[in-house]
Amino acid sequence: MAHVVLKDLVKTYGSFKAVNDVSLTVNDGEFVALVGPSGCGKTTTLNLVAGLTSITSGDIVIGDRVVNDLDPKDRDIAMVFQNYALYPQKSVYMNLAFPLQMRRLPRDEIDKKVKEAARVLDMTHLLERKPRELSGGQQQRVALGRALVRDPAVFLMDEPLSNLDAKLRVQMRSEIKRFHQDLKATIIYVTHDQLEAVTMADKMAVMNGGFLQQYDSPAQVFAHPVNMFVASFIGSPAMSLIPLEISTANGGTVLTSAEGWSLGLSPRNVQKVTKATTKKIVLGARHSTIKLHKSAVPGSIPAKVYTVEPTGDVTFVQAFLSGAIVNVSVPPNIAVTPDERIWLEFDQERMHLFDGETEMALEAS
Amino acid sequence: MSTIAETGSRRQTRSSMRVDGWRWAGRIFLLLMLLYTAVPMIWMLITSIKSGFAATQFPPQWWPDEPTLASYRKLLDPQNSVGQDFLRFFWNSLFVSTATTILSVIVAVPAAYAFSRFTFPGRNFLFFAVLLRNMFPAVIFLVPLFILMRAIGLVNTHGSLILTYLTFGLPLAIWLLKGFYDNIPVQLEQAARIDGATRFQAFIMIVMPLSTPGIIATAIYSFIGAWNEYIYAYTFLSKNDQLTLPVGIQRFFSENTTDFPGLMAASFMMSVPVVVLFLVLQRYFVRALTEGAVKH
Repeated sequence: MAHVVLKDLVKTYGSFKAVNDVSLTVNDGEFVALVGPSGCGKTTTLNLVAGLTSITSGDIVIGDRVVNDLDPKDRDIAMVFQNYALYPQKSVYMNLAFPLQMRRLPRDEIDKKVKEAARVLDMTHLLERKPRELSGGQQQRVALGRALVRDPAVFLMDEPLSNLDAKLRVQMRSEIKRFHQDLKATIIYVTHDQLEAVTMADKMAVMNGGFLQQYDSPAQVFAHPVNMFVASFIGSPAMSLIPLEISTANGGTVLTSAEGWSLGLSPRNVQKVTKATTKKIVLGARHSTIKLHKSAVPGSIPAKVYTVEPTGDVTFVQAFLSGAIVNVSVPPNIAVTPDERIWLEFDQERMHLFDGETEMALEAS
Repeated sequence: MSTIAETGSRRQTRSSMRVDGWRWAGRIFLLLMLLYTAVPMIWMLITSIKSGFAATQFPPQWWPDEPTLASYRKLLDPQNSVGQDFLRFFWNSLFVSTATTILSVIVAVPAAYAFSRFTFPGRNFLFFAVLLRNMFPAVIFLVPLFILMRAIGLVNTHGSLILTYLTFGLPLAIWLLKGFYDNIPVQLEQAARIDGATRFQAFIMIVMPLSTPGIIATAIYSFIGAWNEYIYAYTFLSKNDQLTLPVGIQRFFSENTTDFPGLMAASFMMSVPVVVLFLVLQRYFVRALTEGAVKH
């Protein structure tokens, strides 16, 4: 296993910058998820690491080698593709053996390794089949096995679960996580599904528009998103973002809405908003940090219910507030109906405040 | 309850009758088409085993009174001057067609792969330029190509035909193969390259085996096109010992009185390689034509 370092990585296609100055370090044995919406540059970044795409500028280090100009085959990596990319004309056995054959290993050693990988992944009985005779989950496993037999320095995975159905995806998610824990493998995992990133990765790199937005542990990213993009991308349902303005009332700093109501702030939050470059502030709150009241209580804000989505153990209520839609979760025994008038109370400790101009998170000091 | 079931079943019968009607119409249509295409060939076969006199009789003998293989024996006899010519034409055709096929595959495979996988300046322009040749009837190029061939001294050589047939066959071959390569996910090559193959090895070991049906289909197209071609062969070649079958048969048999059984026997034998090729490889051929039509 090895660590991976990306240094000022840039990839341009004509005038389009697909990857823009991305720098990050993946430590030995770490599981890092590259996550972001489609077109954010995450797959391009992975292809740059794999050597399938040539870099425009910057450096890629795998282990202690700068691999910028090495062919994919010389980078000591293994990759799992979204569509599995199993060789259709080869049996499962030959699919697993191919990377070893290319390395000119002796036949009996290949046989031993293939059988060992098949045993680990519980597919010994499938070895003679062709990929098209396998189910999606089995194909996925073979793809994983083909990466596994090689014992590479780094595993690269490009949305390996997105072609599976929902149930299988959850199952494979824990299998891959287990596989990482057992092998202590260095894994770079690309996904557009923030839930996969949050549940599996040691660290997640959130990307948007070719830029690395934030690189930290899922817990940190969740609790302290650096900007509005990360805040709204991570977490489901998405964090509610409400545009407000700073003003003074009764000698204190409050946030006022175009709708007329105003929200008092705790001293710490007042400290935060004074850092803003403009009067415009965006208030961010996750569904679980907002309290729903059926009648006005001090500090609460009036809103109108838009939709109610019961999921069984929790009910999600969407409400209109100052032109934004706010997600609130309530216990299933609370009956709320669309168009009902409700009052929302924000948790001062757990609310996020963003600069309305720069979209960056505001910190106390 | 029972009435509903009855109405249902009656409706079903009526609709299945309607379907049956169409099905029968379809069958009759297919039968007529079969007769239309098969009867001339059957007649060719029957005529080829008649004697010269029986072949021109009217009303015709539906089945010859004295079937004979004399025409075939004559054509395949190397001692006989007719047989010598026929066999030489046959080998000429085989040589020209095979050479055309091999060359067109050798050129079309890398060309199609490049069009499918690489982006380079002028890619689209080049790709459509390749097709430009097929937008005009072949005859338009007859005189210009003849003048060109004369200028480079290729008139009366098989090279002139091979070059010409390549200009017909290659565009189609490249288009057909490009469709094939487009259909092979690029990730397969990427996986192979990560698994330790060079780009060229990935092409040879992974992509080539997958595109075999396409290559075979392309080869058949080229072969049949070259094998049957008449106008250019007629124009470019005048020496008797170089003629290909389509021209050779025509020249040979219409000099004085036409030997119809001989002509038919020769025609039949000319179609044998094409039919055999087709039967052996038709599985690939059909797949090639439908491949890429839908996304699986």
